[in-house]
Order: sequence, then C-alpha cells, then structure tokens
Amino acid sequence: MSTQAGSKSAVPHVLDIRDLCVRFRTKRGIADALDHVSLSIPKSASVGLVGESGCGKSTLMKAAIDVLAENAEVTAGSVYYHDLDLLAAPAETVRQKRWAGISMITQSALNALNPVKKVGDQIVEAIRAHRNMSRKDAWARAEEMLQLVGVDPKRAREYPHQFSGGMRQRAIIAMSLVLSPDLVLADEPTTSLDVIVQDQIFRKIRSLQEELGFSLLLVTHDLGVVIENCDRIAVMYAGQVVEEGPVDQVVNTPFHPYTLGLKNSLPRIDAVSEPIAIPGGPPDPIEMPKGCRFAPRCPFAQDACRQTKPELVSVGAGHRAACIRQAEIPGLRAEAAKIGTWAKVAVKSEEVVE
Amino acid sequence: MRRYIVRRLIHMVITLFAMMTIMFFMFRLLPGDPTMTMISSVMYPKAQEAMRAQFGLDKPLIEQYLIYLKNYSTLNFGYSFHSSREVSELLSGRIVNTLVLILPSMIVAYGLGALLGALLGWYRGGRFETSVVFVATALQAAPVFWLGMLAILLFSINLGWFPPGHLVTPGMFPDQDLRMYVSADFLHHLALPFLVHTAYQICFPLLLMRSSMLATIGEDFVEFARIKGLRERKILFGHAARNSLLPVATTIPMILSWALAGSVVIETVFSWPGLGKLMIEGVQRSDFPVVQAAFFLIAVLTIIGTFTADLLYGLLDPRIVYD
Repeated sequence: MSTQAGSKSAVPHVLDIRDLCVRFRTKRGIADALDHVSLSIPKSASVGLVGESGCGKSTLMKAAIDVLAENAEVTAGSVYYHDLDLLAAPAETVRQKRWAGISMITQSALNALNPVKKVGDQIVEAIRAHRNMSRKDAWARAEEMLQLVGVDPKRAREYPHQFSGGMRQRAIIAMSLVLSPDLVLADEPTTSLDVIVQDQIFRKIRSLQEELGFSLLLVTHDLGVVIENCDRIAVMYAGQVVEEGPVDQVVNTPFHPYTLGLKNSLPRIDAVSEPIAIPGGPPDPIEMPKGCRFAPRCPFAQDACRQTKPELVSVGAGHRAACIRQAEIPGLRAEAAKIGTWAKVAVKSEEVVE
Repeated sequence: MRRYIVRRLIHMVITLFAMMTIMFFMFRLLPGDPTMTMISSVMYPKAQEAMRAQFGLDKPLIEQYLIYLKNYSTLNFGYSFHSSREVSELLSGRIVNTLVLILPSMIVAYGLGALLGALLGWYRGGRFETSVVFVATALQAAPVFWLGMLAILLFSINLGWFPPGHLVTPGMFPDQDLRMYVSADFLHHLALPFLVHTAYQICFPLLLMRSSMLATIGEDFVEFARIKGLRERKILFGHAARNSLLPVATTIPMILSWALAGSVVIETVFSWPGLGKLMIEGVQRSDFPVVQAAFFLIAVLTIIGTFTADLLYGLLDPRIVYD
C-alpha cells in the first residue's frame, strides 16, 4: 500500500486522483468544492469515501468519470485512470473508458434508468456502445448478468417501473459489471432501500468483487458500511480529505478529530454510550474558514488551528491525517468519546451565532 | 386493451351525437332563411313557400331533427339547398383538397419542429437559439392570413415565383381527376400555402420540444447515459429527445383538429377550394345540409385523431396502461 498518494509505488493503481481542485460557479459566488484532493485506488481494493452531505464526495466521484456539471471548473490536478489523464484526454478516448473501464452504481436506480426503455435494452445499449456485438448476443449477455445478480432474466423485457426498488438496484449492478470494468464507483448504492435489501445488495457486491476482481470506490455517509465492506477509507470534510488509511487503523486509532466525531456517531451494540452527534454543520463552501476547515466545530481547536492550514502527514503505516495537533491526538481520544467534550463546542458555536 | 378501445368507441359515438345535436339547433336558431338566397319572398312568396316545403323546412323543428338523425345514421347527408347537388359529392372533392394541403404540412411542421426544438434544447445557450426562439414566437403570434398575404405580396406579386392562389391553373384540369394532384402545376400552386401554413405551424412543436428538452436534459438518466459512455448522438436522440417527445406528442390531435377546422383562413387567402372554404360559403348561404356535413366531417376527423393519438401515446410511454 502506498504511503504517499500521488507517488508511484509497487502496487499499481487503477485510479489515481492527484491534487484535484474543483470550483462551482454559483449565483452567490464561487463555491470551493474540492481542495487539493488526492486519492488512490489500488487494484482489486475497496476504498470507502465517507463524509457529510455536501463535503464533495459526489463531486469527486463525478470528476473520476469526467461528468462534472457545466458550472464546475477544474482549477488544478489530474485524474489518472491507469496511465490516462481523464481530464486532459480527448472526449472520445474518455468515452471509451467510461463503463468499459470505469462504471458506476448510482444512488437512485429509478432516476438513472430511462422510464420508457426496457431494462434489457438499457443494458444492451451500454454493451453495444463499447463492443462490436450483435443485438441478440448483447441481449443474451444482459440476461446472463441479470441472472448473476439474482434477477429473473425474463424480466429484461420489462420497464423500470415494473421493478421493485431492490430489483432496480440489482439491475444497475448487473449493468455496471456487464463489460467487466476494473473500477466500479458506487455512490450511496443503497440509500433508497430498506436495511435487509441493503445488506443483500452489499453481500452481492462483495461476492461479485471476489469473483471478478474489480476495484471499488464506495461513497457513503455511513461509516458502518465502510467498516464492513472496505479495505481502505478516506474521510472527507468540506472538500478536503482529512484522514485516510487502512480501515482498521483509521477506525481504531483515528488521528483527526472529525474522524473521532464520526466514530462517536456509530450506534454501538454494547450500548455503553449513546451515539454522539458532531454539533453544528459544515462550513459554507463560498466562504471557507481560513485555517483548518473543521476548527469551528472541533473541541480541540486552538488559535493556531484557525490560522494554519493543516497538511496531510503520515501518522502510521499507510495512514495519514491532516491535523496540526495530530501528535497529541492519542492522548485526547478518551476525551473525544465523552459527550461533554462535544457539548462545549455546541455552546461555543451558539455564542458565535449570537 | 380491448375493453379500453370498446369504451372509447362508445365515448366517440356519444361525443359525435352531442356535437350533431348542438350543430343542428345552432344553425336553425341563427337568423337567415335558406330560401332567401335564391328566391325573394317579396317577389314570389308562393314559390318560396313551395321551396320551403321541398326542403322540409315547413315541418316542426323536432321532426326535422329526427329526419336529420335518421339520414346521418345511414350516412345520407342530403342535398345542398344552394346547388341541389349531393352533399357527399360536394364534400368528397373538397376534403381531399384540404387534406392534401394540411396533412403534409402538419407532418413536416411536427417532424421538423420537434427535430429543431431538440437540437436547440441540446445545444442551448447560443445566440442562434435566442434568435430562433424570437422568430418562432413572433411567427406564432402573427395571424395566418397576414402571413399569407405577405407571402403572396413577396413571392407571387414581387418575385413572381409562385401563383397567388387556386389549386391549378384554371382550365388545365376540367375534370379535377386524380392526375391533377400529381401534376407539376398543382405542386407549384401548393407550394406557397404549404410554406406559409408550415412556417406558422412549426413554431408550436418547436418551442414546446425545446422547453421539454431543457427539462429532460437535467434528468439523472441523461447524465447516466453519458456515464455509460454512450455516444453524444445516441444520448441526444435515444434518451433526451426520445423522452422529450412525450408532451409534444400529446398536442398532435389537438393541433391537428385546430388546423383542419382553421384551414378556412389559409384556404380563403389562397382561394383554395377546400373544406374550410365550403363551410364559409355554406354559412353565408344558410345552406344547412352542407354546413352540417362539413362540421360533422371535421368532428369525425378530430375524434379519430384524438383516439389515434391516445393509442400512440401508450406506445410511446410504457408507463401508461389502458384498462
């Protein structure tokens, strides 16, 4: 595993995002969506990307497949898929890499599927956009994939509205794997489903991954999902990666106060303590805080935090965090698990509002 | 599906019956006496009486109504008060003239309008789009007769490219047989009314398709089609335009029936002997059998058009289920 994202290492990366900066032009001004984000996805690995809504997870994912919105602007950085910089490559080259190389499981299968086309046809058109295959063969392949994800292949002739939510999600998974891509991006793949179907879907994704060996970037706001499904984790806050590393290290010994806070929000089976929420909300992307972006909500923030922008530094094997007090964090973990520690911030932030 | 069609057929008959009833009484309640246009009551009151009896206008209104219903149920449209010719014969020639002008024009208007609208919506935000939208809005707001007169002034009188009216050069086809409709002379006469009508009718599908496209482009499945690596052409026509077509398709029957009923304007401007012109003549002469039959025909065409479009809509959008 590489210790420095962006540097070449022995492990080949399927996707290598380096120093990516993305801004959005909005009516209110320029929104800072991604700030020098680096993220690598090793071959056949699962990387979880967690963070609150609006922290830039989806923007990062769209950048990874080069379908950013029209008002988005990449001001720096690159997105390498193997040796190809997707942001600099000609449109047709990028088109050929989409789906055949990088596919995606979307948040809402209902919206991603065209309501007036048969599910089978929508899989077939994905195949035929990249492979020189007859309609009949492509249809057979689509049916085969539906079977693989546990959907009756006969239902390929039906329309999306005739599918249940879980089946639609399975159909999207079948579609995402139909060209055997080596990278699958999954954007909150189970948000719209109930927990039992959620579990089935993830189990299906895991077993297919073992069988087919693709890499997975799993975007979610649910730390528990990442713990269960991923090898590595990247924690995003306000457009920056604040901590990343192997899942067990990051979860057991977090070095960023935001990760500590996220960990507190996990419901625990032993029920010794209630989940603790991080008070306040993410900063306005149009007016980001000058120093550490988490400082206004951080119980351990000092004056220096509000002045200096922290850099990602190594805190363990393949484990990096962006906190200027990272050396003191091991001593603060016990305190971070107490509800009172966070309550103080809540009081403070309310005072600021007044 | 079969039950739906049967139910719709019953509805169609009821609609037609209601429309026939309204039409019958409407014309008879209007001032004017059909015999007036032929015989002056001041000069020959007896002859006028005789003519009233011959037309059956002396019978009580309700009896006339029942005779009218009975005749229509056997598709007997009677004789024209004015020319004494069979109404069905009068109409059949005129309806062909109207259809030959209106139908191709509407097909081109909707086909081209939808295509242009789709492209405008897809390549949105240019100066080209702004100017096309401006021109289309202006054209749509302009009255057809005025557009027709301008076209005659420019293309017939000033440039001399097209004849200003009529089906063919007078005297060329005294029999008005089918060969006339495929002659170069006929097409030459058709060109100008066709262009004016198409230019006017193209605006609505064009503007509607454009706004429908703008709404569809923001949908997730369009972005997803791009993520799937489909070619831009395929995303445009296979997804964005395909789905944007749905609201445009629903307007076809409505606009088509308006165009048929409104053909009177373009036919008058271009002296085009179609159904619309026949109606005007009939109303002016209180020629009830002709007017009734003409309105009946338009009603039938409208109802059939609506029905076909409803079935078409079901084919276009699988979410619509008929039961």
